[in-house]
Amino acid sequence: MEKEEILKKLTTAVIDGDNNLARESAQNALTAEIDPLEAIDQGLSKGMEAVGRQFESGECYLPELIMTADTFNAAMEILKPAIEANKQQVRKEGIVLIATVKGDLHEIGKNIVATVMETNGFEVVDIGIDQHSLDIIEAAEKNKADIIALSSLMTTTMPYQKEVIEVLDGMKLRDKYIVLVGGGPVSQKWADEINANGYGETAIDAVALAKNLLNNRKQTVAMD
Amino acid sequence: MLNFLDINERALNGPIMSEKEFDMKVFVPRLKSVTDDYGIRYDKDNPVPSDDKASDNLFEAAVDFMSHVGVFCKDTKRIIQFKRDEILEVLKEAPGRCLAGEGKEAGVFGMRRPDEQKHPWFHVGSGIVASSEEMTTNLIEGYASIAESNSISISALDSIRGILVMAGSPVEFYAAIQGIKIGLEAIKRAGRPGLPIMNLISTSASALTAIAASAPQFGLRPTDGWLCGTIAEMKIDFAVMTKVAYLLSSGANVGVETAPILGGYCGGPAGTAVVSTAYILMGLLVYNGNYQLHFPVHFRYGCSSTRDVLWAVSASCQAASRNIPMPVIWLGYMASGPNTKMYFYEAAAHMLSAVTSGAPSVQTPHPARAVKKDGITPMEAKFGVEMGKAACRLNRQKANELVLQLLEKYESRIRTAPTGSLYQECYDINTGKPKESYVRLYNEVKEELAGMGIPFE
Repeated sequence: MEKEEILKKLTTAVIDGDNNLARESAQNALTAEIDPLEAIDQGLSKGMEAVGRQFESGECYLPELIMTADTFNAAMEILKPAIEANKQQVRKEGIVLIATVKGDLHEIGKNIVATVMETNGFEVVDIGIDQHSLDIIEAAEKNKADIIALSSLMTTTMPYQKEVIEVLDGMKLRDKYIVLVGGGPVSQKWADEINANGYGETAIDAVALAKNLLNNRKQTVAMD
Repeated sequence: MLNFLDINERALNGPIMSEKEFDMKVFVPRLKSVTDDYGIRYDKDNPVPSDDKASDNLFEAAVDFMSHVGVFCKDTKRIIQFKRDEILEVLKEAPGRCLAGEGKEAGVFGMRRPDEQKHPWFHVGSGIVASSEEMTTNLIEGYASIAESNSISISALDSIRGILVMAGSPVEFYAAIQGIKIGLEAIKRAGRPGLPIMNLISTSASALTAIAASAPQFGLRPTDGWLCGTIAEMKIDFAVMTKVAYLLSSGANVGVETAPILGGYCGGPAGTAVVSTAYILMGLLVYNGNYQLHFPVHFRYGCSSTRDVLWAVSASCQAASRNIPMPVIWLGYMASGPNTKMYFYEAAAHMLSAVTSGAPSVQTPHPARAVKKDGITPMEAKFGVEMGKAACRLNRQKANELVLQLLEKYESRIRTAPTGSLYQECYDINTGKPKESYVRLYNEVKEELAGMGIPFE
């Protein structure tokens, strides 16, 4: 099978959420000696980008996004051993630790942000809902996160977003993380008040913001 | 009716699976197949459809969906399942009415059919919109002073003596009892002490607080209404089940609170219409609810005034009003805030859609996506009532024409909607009266809407 055809099938598999085609095409890519990183960049990622665009324009919704991410991961199960054997590294935007804060059981908004982040090249560690501030920080440390993303859907749980930032300060870890906040009652004003690094009104906004803040941070580190 | 212990038994012994499996292997595929099999289609050119056969078909789709998907219990990771026959039996037995209020304010909150001219039950007030402690009495007194209001929703306090209310903390309990105290005092000041408060306990997130604050010494009456939430989509947990068990045992009105999210696991408008209808079945089946507060919202804009959500509201409201004897309060979240023309356009569209579709009750459309502290006034409540009464004089076809005209006025601005003014900016906090500029804006918009053909009294 031609290289172009294999890459195209990888893209199609992701767009259609077809796990079997994704696994088969990933295997074909390895058999045809296509660099696995190229299979990701020119095949799988193109599919993710296409679905991302559909989501942005309202042509598809959360279920399709989750299926896309699952299909991507199905192909990665085949490609990963080859990447490790070649001592290569998958390019990723950064590691995001995401959670809904203490006392809050809302999860759909968080799941949408997590999935959109994932389909945009971030590694996402989702620790779920109703998470204590200390557990969030512990998970960020354990997973070497770059970003802590905090969701809150109630006015009575927003103060826990503030608490995470205050505890990070107290532990002298604040500068280590970019802290993003979001959720129905959350606003830019609130983000400024609690000294968060940013507020995303939508999942798409959160991704753009995360990329910008990470780039700025990398540039600052490079200049230092 | 199924006994609530039966529901508990199913939560303990139903099929076990992970939450992700429920979402992606049960909920999503079944919703897709039901939507396809029953031919549920979103019609963007008719945000208020008027085909009774299509409404009944949507109801059938929701019964099919509920009988194959059920409700996921997060604590046991088991599915509470229902057979089709059981669902239909429960519908046959449901009373289709809720008795609320005391003394001369006592009333029967019953059903309406699409195109019916009978006024809906007017549920007035702010609910989830957070208020400062100082503004709350005025606000609630203002709601209760609207003569047509049948029940009210009291504000959520976001702080007590300057201490932020945090979910699950003891402060939450103090905020709950303070909210009740202010609410009861305000309705007395309006001369309507028997008016039912139907969003209890508004400042509470936890079942523990809700139950504690419901002790008789804090003044609540069984003829008020307590809200018991669901977890989107089609999930519950032991905390809410405990709250329901308490309320059923104490004979209080159980209000089921549901909010399907368009763009989330429901997918697009067609899937949202199916889930929205299924949620009303859930209210009767799982909660044995006396009434329901239902507010579909858009995942991206956090409001209910987008064209696709308006369609899902209208379609599911018609399916439910024709087939499910559950008094539902249909609530909408508006993108724009008080003291803006856009708010009134959005609220008019929502009211036209819900009322002509047979909504048994409508609540004051919440301004500024219900997230702006003090971002609500009694003026929006007054408009909700006047608009609701006007909508009763119209049928679905006429409502559809008007909603299309209204959408032209605001649809393109939803993303950048103005969040409007605060209560203290457009009301005199000493007299509790609206400022002249807001009254002028209100009258201007009403005149404009009347010119479009909305028959205000």
